[in-house]
Amino acid sequence: MRQKPLYIGIDVGSFSTKAVLLANNTILASSLSLSGGNYNKAVQYTINKIEKKAKVSFNEVSAIGVTGCGAETVAFASYKISEISAQGKGVNFFFPTVRTVIDLGGRATTVIRIDEEGKALDFVVSEKCAAGSGRFLEILANVLRVKLEDLGPLSLKAKEAVKFTTGCAVFAESEAISRVAEGTAKESVVAGVHKALAAKIHSLVERVGVELDYAFTSGGAKDIGLVACLQEELGVPLLVPPEPQLTGAIGAALFAREKVGMNKNEPVVRER
Amino acid sequence: MKADKMYFAGVDIGSTMTKVVIQDENDSILASIIGPTGAEHRRLAYQVMKDALNKAGLRFDEIELVVATGYGRFNVPFADRQITEISCHARGVSHLFPTARTVIDIGGQDSKGIKIRDGRVEDFIMNDKCAAGTGRFLEITAEALGVKVEEIGELSLKARHNVKISSTCTVFAGQEVVTRLSEGLALEDILAGVHDAIADRIWGMVQRIRVEKDVVITGGGAKNIGLVRALERKWGYPALLPPEPLITGAIGAAVIARELAIKALTEKRVLKKERTLKELALFSEEAS
Repeated sequence: MRQKPLYIGIDVGSFSTKAVLLANNTILASSLSLSGGNYNKAVQYTINKIEKKAKVSFNEVSAIGVTGCGAETVAFASYKISEISAQGKGVNFFFPTVRTVIDLGGRATTVIRIDEEGKALDFVVSEKCAAGSGRFLEILANVLRVKLEDLGPLSLKAKEAVKFTTGCAVFAESEAISRVAEGTAKESVVAGVHKALAAKIHSLVERVGVELDYAFTSGGAKDIGLVACLQEELGVPLLVPPEPQLTGAIGAALFAREKVGMNKNEPVVRER
Repeated sequence: MKADKMYFAGVDIGSTMTKVVIQDENDSILASIIGPTGAEHRRLAYQVMKDALNKAGLRFDEIELVVATGYGRFNVPFADRQITEISCHARGVSHLFPTARTVIDIGGQDSKGIKIRDGRVEDFIMNDKCAAGTGRFLEITAEALGVKVEEIGELSLKARHNVKISSTCTVFAGQEVVTRLSEGLALEDILAGVHDAIADRIWGMVQRIRVEKDVVITGGGAKNIGLVRALERKWGYPALLPPEPLITGAIGAAVIARELAIKALTEKRVLKKERTLKELALFSEEAS
């Protein structure tokens, strides 16, 4: 017997698109794909995958919550929710004790202060500069010819961290190339970038006046080198959800569920 | 060559280009050479200097004084003096345009504004922290759009509408222009937006030293007519452009070399150092 009602949450991000299927308090299925500049395609792909994985049809879903920078492109969304609120709810789902969320996405870094229900109280976003976002890590991985997911393990092996003279991702790219050409170990260059990024995040964290516990989410939290560096920089432990990239989508699904609870009689799933 | 003639050299090592100018005691240019800087400054400074000497038909020991400038100025082993690029730029521009009050230099990795009064630096402002507002911004957006950076200025003048580029960051702007192109917007219109964006950024910086007539634009940015026009719209009158905008710093260095040498001569001091022009190996035998 299929669990009901079902909710889908979709997080359409600049780098990747994530979708989760929620029933009661369980994630039945999740899927993640690169956005690749075409949000519509990425959304279709992630939903199809979820349908297959959970063996459900889209029509059985009670409501769909959507968040992320590409949320506007999802025509069949029942509800739209801001990235800030979605992250807050998603993190609260895993860690009710968390009051500070640090989210390092592909294009922006956000620090959110939340209450015991996951409601956002205050936040600060850094989205003007690539050096403060996950894009910096992508650029670095590309320059060093290593996979994005290998940056963390590499960084942990570093004996020292290269000190970058610039705060700009473009200039840091040239600097990384020069250091490697001079014979500096790749590990040290990666550790240097992690340190620079951690310092940027720290200054952002200070601006919202924060409270324990801390959670770290989105793509940045998958980088164990950055997690270690940021813990050291902040001097506090960071709670990382099992799938840190999914918290936004989970928050969107939870939001859809809440909304349905409020308007019982309205049909919420639109024509696809 | 007349025996009583004196010759001076200015060497400007920028982040992307190395420039050498050789002038006589009347500040007439005998030779000027521009070459890419590359990773090995010392070797390149040597090579460009040698080319300039050949072009001028001079031997190195005939050069009375060599002044080096630019961010790589301490990597010129054969220089007699090092002078900051701000001073050399100001001097070079005043020499070419005595009425100049404001210099806007747009280089490959930095941009600066210099205020001049009576040929001296009154104030200056500089950005080398962020690629936006420097030549790199144009390089990266041009590359993202698949056009040559030398062509984007002319192309941008053909625009019918300006596409607003909302990203400040060079990295994000590079992605944004590709998205705009994929949406079917015209290349010229996007390029007009790119030039407006960099002009906004530079204008935001130089306003802090109060731009006053005459304005001279130098550096690689002065070779981009789209950028020059976009900047001129900010202050509302034409800018002056040197015949070769890349060598104003080197010209200034050569003029300063002449002034220093003449002053030293009247005071019977010797500024010229014991120096030879030879290729420097990175790992010399003496060092090991």
